[in-house]
Amino acid sequence: MKKLKLISRLTIALSALLLISAYFIPLWQIVMWAPQYPEGLEMKIWIDNITGDVKIISALNHYIGMRHIEVSMFPEFGYMIYIVAFVIGFGILTSIVNRRYMLAAYTALLLACGTAALVDFYLWGYDYGHNLDPTAAIIVPGMAYQPPVIGTKQLLNFTAYSGPDLGGWFFIIAGILAIATLIFEVFTSRKKI
Amino acid sequence: MKNLISVIILAILFAACGPERPKVEEGNGANEENAVAENANEGKGIGQVKEVTLNTPLEQDRIPRGKAIYEMKCQACHRLDDQRVVGPGWKDVTKKRKPEWIMNMITNVDVMLERDEEAQKLLELCLTRMPNQNVSLGDARDVLEFMRQNDGEK
Amino acid sequence: MKNKVLLGTAVILAAFSIYGCKPQAPQSAAIGDAASRVYVPPGQYDEFYNIVSGGFNGQLSIYGIPSGRLIKILPVFSVFPENGYGYSEETKPMLNTSHGFVPWDDLHHVAISTTKGEHDGRWVFANGNNTPRVARVSLKSFRTEEILEIPNSGGNHSSPFITENTEYVIAGTRFSVPMGGKDVAISSYKENFKGSISFIKVDSVSGHMNIAFQLRTPGFNFDLSRAGKGPSHGWFFFSCYNTEQAYTLLEVNASQKDKDFIMAVNWKKAEEYLAQGKGKVEKVKYAHNVYSEKTHSATSTIRNEVTVLDISELPEIVYFIPCPKSPHGTDVDPTGEYIVGSGKLAATMPVFSFTKIQNAIANKEFEGDFDGIPVIKYEAALHGEVQKPGLGPLHTEFDGKGNAYTSMFVSSEIVKWNVKTLEILDRVPTYYSIGHLSVPGGPTKTPHGKYVIAYNKITKDRYLPTGPELTQSAQLYDISGDKMRLLLDFPTTGEPHYAEAIPASMIQANSLKFFKIEENEHPFAAKGEGQARVERKGKEVHVYMTAIRSHLTPDNIEGVNVGDDVFFHVTNLEQDWDVPHGFAIKGANNAEILIMPGETQTFLWKPLSTGVFPFYCTDFCSALHQEMSGYIRISAAGVKTPLKFSTGKIEGEQPTGAGN
Repeated sequence: MKKLKLISRLTIALSALLLISAYFIPLWQIVMWAPQYPEGLEMKIWIDNITGDVKIISALNHYIGMRHIEVSMFPEFGYMIYIVAFVIGFGILTSIVNRRYMLAAYTALLLACGTAALVDFYLWGYDYGHNLDPTAAIIVPGMAYQPPVIGTKQLLNFTAYSGPDLGGWFFIIAGILAIATLIFEVFTSRKKI
Repeated sequence: MKNLISVIILAILFAACGPERPKVEEGNGANEENAVAENANEGKGIGQVKEVTLNTPLEQDRIPRGKAIYEMKCQACHRLDDQRVVGPGWKDVTKKRKPEWIMNMITNVDVMLERDEEAQKLLELCLTRMPNQNVSLGDARDVLEFMRQNDGEK
Repeated sequence: MKNKVLLGTAVILAAFSIYGCKPQAPQSAAIGDAASRVYVPPGQYDEFYNIVSGGFNGQLSIYGIPSGRLIKILPVFSVFPENGYGYSEETKPMLNTSHGFVPWDDLHHVAISTTKGEHDGRWVFANGNNTPRVARVSLKSFRTEEILEIPNSGGNHSSPFITENTEYVIAGTRFSVPMGGKDVAISSYKENFKGSISFIKVDSVSGHMNIAFQLRTPGFNFDLSRAGKGPSHGWFFFSCYNTEQAYTLLEVNASQKDKDFIMAVNWKKAEEYLAQGKGKVEKVKYAHNVYSEKTHSATSTIRNEVTVLDISELPEIVYFIPCPKSPHGTDVDPTGEYIVGSGKLAATMPVFSFTKIQNAIANKEFEGDFDGIPVIKYEAALHGEVQKPGLGPLHTEFDGKGNAYTSMFVSSEIVKWNVKTLEILDRVPTYYSIGHLSVPGGPTKTPHGKYVIAYNKITKDRYLPTGPELTQSAQLYDISGDKMRLLLDFPTTGEPHYAEAIPASMIQANSLKFFKIEENEHPFAAKGEGQARVERKGKEVHVYMTAIRSHLTPDNIEGVNVGDDVFFHVTNLEQDWDVPHGFAIKGANNAEILIMPGETQTFLWKPLSTGVFPFYCTDFCSALHQEMSGYIRISAAGVKTPLKFSTGKIEGEQPTGAGN
């Protein structure tokens, strides 16, 4: 039952506390440019909501048979707040309980959550981009409109970019802090032996 | 050789620009050539009319035509007596002015108002530029005959 | 430890820099010598007249190219208080229809008259999309001379395209409707709704228009059209959409079929049937309005008959050619051999060959029929497809060097391609969402080339903002080289749809300077101040007024009562270029009128209260323009103030002026 160093307990606490930002700032963003939209159309994904030019994007997308984007499309919004709250609690508990297995578990939990979120996003994007209305006005044979998970992609006249927003970056930093702490703990304890 | 070509090109450019110039600077156009004021000194005014032959007795066929043109195009500003309204009354105009001057004033009024001293004096007096009523030379001759009749000639 | 902190910081910094690395929005700017290419020095003239439709303003606007300067707004289907069009008694009949006075329309397309397939610079035709009409505008006087209403039409969109020698102007219905104003269920579209294409004969001398015949077609929508030329002279091509025959939510329901049609019409064949008496005369009601330069007045005549040729009964007039997804533009290249179909929802652009169409008809290569009309096999008519041209192809113009220029609405670009090889040569973005485009002479046999002008639907951030309602715009591109080059943006009035450009040299010299007063046959003209007078006819008071710098005659009028209709017939006695006079009176429920030199225009005023009302000249005409005014005294109804009128007469003194 290895205990943790003080610095590790502090970084884990910091890592967990960073996640609180998820309740106040957007996690993910999708930006689309077209010749007619030089200023770009933005969509921000929050822990329990979607904001930005969602209506305009939906209105444009219906020509090619994509569904209207609505909060109700995402059951995730119903339980994400509890998952993140649980992760934060677990991180703070790790810092208090002060055990290395807890640290390992917290790190694994964070990574699992992040991976699950990306997989979930990919699956939604696949469905959204492929499951098209067969009566759409414009049907380009063989064309699907799955948005990129991360990075940019040309979709007809739109250049679409998908990537973390500020909250997402805080998540990534929290993960990096957890991993770094774990490595630091393993590395320093090995040295002692 | 190269120099020669550029000189030729320059020459062509200048040649091409040449005729445009007076138009841009003076904005007068078609009457430019007529504006040579050689006969101005003789009181004949400036314009195409250099010499008018007056016949006595009056050429009767011209008079009604001249009167009709007067009523349509001149009467709004010129009375037949000696009273000035917008422009001077016509009474005795044929005695005060040479027939060439009258016809030039009718047919070439813009240039006359710009160059002819007598016309300019009238503009100072009346303060309204006489409009160009696009009266042809033949019609102006008819109007002149009508003026002579108005001045009592037979 | 320090290293780790550094490492951690580096990771965070890297993360933020990625965050900042979103792709940049596309940038645009004209480059190089663009400014000098479009600069027309003060006092010099543009190279082309650009005659641009005004869309929902119902007017035409005239621009100079390459400068993009707006020179004139020319009212056609809409009233224009600026010059009294539609307000003066003379011009009101121009806007008369079978529905009464219609003060507005939606002007989409223009066609400059041609002889032997080339611009002749005589007239420009324009369509009224809403209350179906075709107008003819003189390119001598730059005035609307004639407006013809189209019966049996639900909206005149595929119009006013013309045949090679301006034999016909076309008016194809946008919406199919039940004929004869029948009261039927909307859901009975398939059985009751019919299309209608009017062939309007144009008199080669006077330009006067007359509906020669109408084709009765199956019910669907006609979008655009072009005449054949050269070898294909005698044929006309129309794009058709909603062959699904939907009558609701067309956005979805008219976009279901993979292919709609291009309709090929053999109008020479139709003429034969007409000559054989195969046409049926139908009772209809439509207005024909003509403006006379002699009387300076329009007359409106209601006509009651039109001759109809039913294509389901008369074979070999019409053939359908399948064309991908709701074709919009159907454009014929300068040789007359190739017909470009632009399926606005399609991924490829078919180019049809006139020779192949003729062969397919001769060999009966049909894939079936639609309401009894043969449908030619797609492949049998096809010259080839332009692959991946862009998104939302709408219209195509040509440069006379074998190249075509197609506007792409969705991808907001112009795509240049070779008509024969179908190879894409260049593409340039437009800002934003181009609709129509125009190459000078583009629809003729010998395009003048040099430029392509884009007419855009959206300007967004291109100009200083003016609230929610923004200007629409045009953009000028140089096409003299291999690559297209953006030279200029210029804002437009209304919504520009189609436009044509014609060399200034073909118009400029013929431009009318003024109307000869000797030739004025207006019944109320006062041709000379001696004829100026006031006459009472019952409740009507007619003022025969003259205007010359700088007075109106008569300028004192008395003896007019509340309840009278006062007609000011103002004759401009000037006989020089650019000396219009205007007329307006206090409190008139009317616009002003502008009177050109030698012209007579009539302003109707119904005084509602007693008093003395000033009137004045509204067009700054001379140094004494502010003095060009007068008074009219209005007495109460029934009061017998003696009728008096004068100019320059001062009561109690010897008369010093002309008049009475």
